[in-house]
Amino acid sequence: MSVAATTQPAEKRLSLLVTVLAFALPVIFVLVPLAIFLVYSFFSVDQGTIVFAPTLGNYARFFTDPIFLPVFWNTIVLCVSVAVICILLAYPAAYFLTTLKGRWRYALLMLLLVPLLMSYVIKIYAIRSILGLNGFLNKALVALGILDQPSTLFVFNMNAILLTLSLLLIPFAILPIFLSLERIPQTLLRASDDLGASGLQTFLRITLPLSLPGVASAASFVFVLAIGDFLTPQMVGGISGFTFGRILYSQFGTAYNWPFGAALSVALAIVVICAILIGERFGRNRGTSI
Amino acid sequence: MNLNTDLLTLRSVSKSYGTVPVLHDIDLSIKDGEFLTVLGPSGSGKTTVLRLIGGLEPLTAGEIRLDGQDISRMPINRRPFNTVFQDYALFPHMTVSGNVGYGLSVRHIQRKEIARRVAEALELVQLGRFADRFPAQLSGGQRQRVALARALICQPRLILLDEPLAALDLELRRQMQEFLKSIQREIKTTFLFVTHDQEEAIGMADRICVMQAGHIRQLGTPHELYYKPNCEFVARFFGENNLVAGKLGPVQGEQRPIETALGRLICSISDQLHLKTAPDGASAFAAFRPEALRLADATDSGNRFSGTIADLAFAGSSTVATVTAGADTAVQRLRLRMPSRIDGSALKSGETVSLSFAPHEGHLVLA
Repeated sequence: MSVAATTQPAEKRLSLLVTVLAFALPVIFVLVPLAIFLVYSFFSVDQGTIVFAPTLGNYARFFTDPIFLPVFWNTIVLCVSVAVICILLAYPAAYFLTTLKGRWRYALLMLLLVPLLMSYVIKIYAIRSILGLNGFLNKALVALGILDQPSTLFVFNMNAILLTLSLLLIPFAILPIFLSLERIPQTLLRASDDLGASGLQTFLRITLPLSLPGVASAASFVFVLAIGDFLTPQMVGGISGFTFGRILYSQFGTAYNWPFGAALSVALAIVVICAILIGERFGRNRGTSI
Repeated sequence: MNLNTDLLTLRSVSKSYGTVPVLHDIDLSIKDGEFLTVLGPSGSGKTTVLRLIGGLEPLTAGEIRLDGQDISRMPINRRPFNTVFQDYALFPHMTVSGNVGYGLSVRHIQRKEIARRVAEALELVQLGRFADRFPAQLSGGQRQRVALARALICQPRLILLDEPLAALDLELRRQMQEFLKSIQREIKTTFLFVTHDQEEAIGMADRICVMQAGHIRQLGTPHELYYKPNCEFVARFFGENNLVAGKLGPVQGEQRPIETALGRLICSISDQLHLKTAPDGASAFAAFRPEALRLADATDSGNRFSGTIADLAFAGSSTVATVTAGADTAVQRLRLRMPSRIDGSALKSGETVSLSFAPHEGHLVLA
């Protein structure tokens, strides 16, 4: 009786502490920094020092200056393209994986995910050397007779960013698509066969629609990772490959205008949140799973 | 529909998974328009038979003939059969009418025609009001009926049902049994129904095929299986039974005696050649149903022996007595089922009684 009386409050206190931590950690490390950014976006900079007086000047500049909106828009288009390319390449790969049996399936999946373990910068260098003037891609195209001479089409421009980001992010697209394909019960496919559908009909009418949630989360995943990336455009984009991430980066670095950078981050965050919401909206299965 | 023509014939069909054989040399004919139940314990190969016919699995050996034509290698989507899967396998992203119409729409039938036939099929399974629901919004019994409507809308020659009632509770299962039977009568399509539940089989089937360990043990009407089981397995598996081991005596017309621990028991062997030709002294069982066993009076001319009531169990309409009989060295536990009476059973536990069963209600199975 007395033992229980003494241990119970201690246990209660511990569980209270755990609960508080569970809520406090995301608040301290995620929500508070975001809030600080939001607050900063309403400040301004005067001769290298931050003026802590609220103003809408940063947002006005973002919407009126002829530089930012076009870059912002182009970056969104770029990242949507990256997402589309990743889905188009990842879907067949993921589908192929699900046709494999047992051990092979997971061994190959692991192999496809190995690039995630490598350093980001090293991967970018590797891809840059593949895309470069003397790179593998050009040599292959020349050898195949598609090009007469090596082209600079694939390096230090928007194309380079598009290709590099796509290559880097494909693993992030394969995984959710693979998981959603794997979750489709085989008996649904057999039922479709049984009802007279051809292989193509079964794929288009059963497999594809049931894997769309995976495709949606893969697309939003890739889009969000691509739009937040400034390192890849910086390294392979050259002068013409200018993205929003690079502008943002420069505001915190060379331009040293944190409040304006914060305002740009807020604009980016809104797009990212929208992408996640859209992905989540289509990722849900209309409440129809059995 | 002619019940005497064979729709589908399996000829020495075998199936192995790797080196593990699951079906040995099966021969089976399914008649046009019948309700055939394949009954067996789990692992007997009954579902494999259905999957081979449906085209879900390739044969290892033998052939399957439809109207005399070999369809063993016909792909699944070309076979004029449809399956009702055990877990229904409804498409979760389609409405009820989408599911039911699927088989027609993959055949590029006109929308109007599909809509008409879907409405018809849903009417048949009494789900007209649920056309726009998704499977997740339906109860188990309703999903079951959607699966049935989806299978029968393509007007298949044969509907394959893979333990479709296993997931339903008892009351619903009874309703669905009657419902399935009435639909089968209405659309006059051949049903091949796989189950491990012998009560279900007795209640629904025109004929039952009993399977065990990859072999067909017996094929016949429920009545035949119940009263003339051809082997120990069927005699024990199919309904409650009393089996008493012994040695056969010489044939006496349509009857044959068997020497058992309960003495000489006379049993019927009518129409069963293998019982007539079995040698004298062969090991066999006398089999008699609990309801055939009765308390003997002085004039009883049946197979008489005495026994002791070990236990009495009231089971609603009937009361089941467990009786021990025979010599000390070979005690037989028998069951006796009699109609319950409102003023309680006349028997008491521990009482010694005289028992009998009529020779024509006794049956022999070879050991």
